[in-house]
Amino acid sequence: MQDERRDPKTARVNLFDPKIASDPQPFYADLRARCPVARSAYKDSPVVSRYEDVAWGLRQPEIFSSAMEKEMALGTERPMIPQQIDPPAQTRYRRLLDPHFSRRKMEALAPAIRRQANALIDRFEARGECEFDSEFAVPLPCGAFLSLLGLPLADLPAFLEIKDDIIRPQKRKGVPMLPIPEAAAIRAEGGRRIYAYFERLIDERSAQPRDDLTSSLVHAEIDGEKLERSEILDICFLLLIAGLDTVTATLGCSVAWLARHPEERHRLVDDPRQIPAAVEELLRWETPVTMVPRIAKQDVTLHGCEIKQGEMVTFLLGAANTDGEHFRDPDRVDFARERNLHLAFGAGPHRCLGSHLARMELRVALEEWHRRIPSYEIRAGETPVYSLAIREVMYLPLVWSPHR
Amino acid sequence: MRVRVDRENCVGHGRCYSLAPDVYSDDERGHCVVGPEPLPRNLEAQARLGADNCPESAISLDDTRPPPPGADGPRG
Repeated sequence: MQDERRDPKTARVNLFDPKIASDPQPFYADLRARCPVARSAYKDSPVVSRYEDVAWGLRQPEIFSSAMEKEMALGTERPMIPQQIDPPAQTRYRRLLDPHFSRRKMEALAPAIRRQANALIDRFEARGECEFDSEFAVPLPCGAFLSLLGLPLADLPAFLEIKDDIIRPQKRKGVPMLPIPEAAAIRAEGGRRIYAYFERLIDERSAQPRDDLTSSLVHAEIDGEKLERSEILDICFLLLIAGLDTVTATLGCSVAWLARHPEERHRLVDDPRQIPAAVEELLRWETPVTMVPRIAKQDVTLHGCEIKQGEMVTFLLGAANTDGEHFRDPDRVDFARERNLHLAFGAGPHRCLGSHLARMELRVALEEWHRRIPSYEIRAGETPVYSLAIREVMYLPLVWSPHR
Repeated sequence: MRVRVDRENCVGHGRCYSLAPDVYSDDERGHCVVGPEPLPRNLEAQARLGADNCPESAISLDDTRPPPPGADGPRG
């Protein structure tokens, strides 16, 4: 990397290096300092890493478009709504959807999530150990998703399987990486299953509305017109893809960090009122959703580097969130940070639709976990395993003393 | 002090009404609504906290008096 320092324009970076997943911050620092617009070894596409540039780019949908369902190839037949739609059409969908995901609405789900969190902890508390990912971080957000859409908890296993087929098709084959065509085939099949599931659900809720999001969508109108069936499907597809893995990853990253930092953890146990601030600071430091992609709609020159029209641009949220030009003492995890303008939920018109749901889930989960299991650590000799791009801690063995 | 929110720039992060609920509240979409006007003196610190934590810089404070000693600088 030293040799490339002289000409940052030719620097190539491998965003999918497994080392980066578990310890990304040094990589981010190097990138920001050395080549604020680097080139990804994957598809030779530009990678933007400084806070100022990332925040700017995410607020310029007319330059950096989100219309990229083909490039993402997540098994969808049409763009996911509203994530893969640009304003002004996106704005109309957000006006419809934002009220369903407001902080107030999400807080109303908190008691249900609290019960679900405790039901999960009941299963393993007395054992004195658990594998945090599969026993807590994965099922909790899925339960929240099912509650939100008004679906039976019995459907959880089926949802987990479809979600994995789409987000991590390699998992089905038990290998770290799959050739692109094979992955695409598994994703497409997962996509078909999602469409079929939600088709059925829309039929049911059209016939017999209930007090849930699906029923609201069936009866919702934009500018006096009901949503097309395909639009409802494209919204549900997004909720499934965006709502499960991200909170799972954030729970894993946060608890893995707290397991290794008992002093800070004890502070939360002693004073749970600090948990909301801890959630924000761990979102900043860990940034589990490390990057968001866009497509350049025009040629742009940034720091003397050319971004060509049609190129996929990666905005590295994790690098932005640890930028010392923006954050004071960026490498210190400080729950008392007075000003925390992290971009973990993005910025601009596509600000994460589910950010209030995520924050509520994270807060409730950390409250209940630390109330019931205040002292825990990573099992001696074990190393947590982080996945790439969305940093799910796929293996996090925790131990505690069951009799306190 | 006067508090203004630029409704064009607000995208509903909700940091303001989460951190400073006596000054800011949310509309149906979860976008910022500024509370009491004129703002009582004892809420000025909250107003500043909410404005400082808006990721979109959508909140502006019109304050003729200098900030109190020890107030945080522009960096986070």
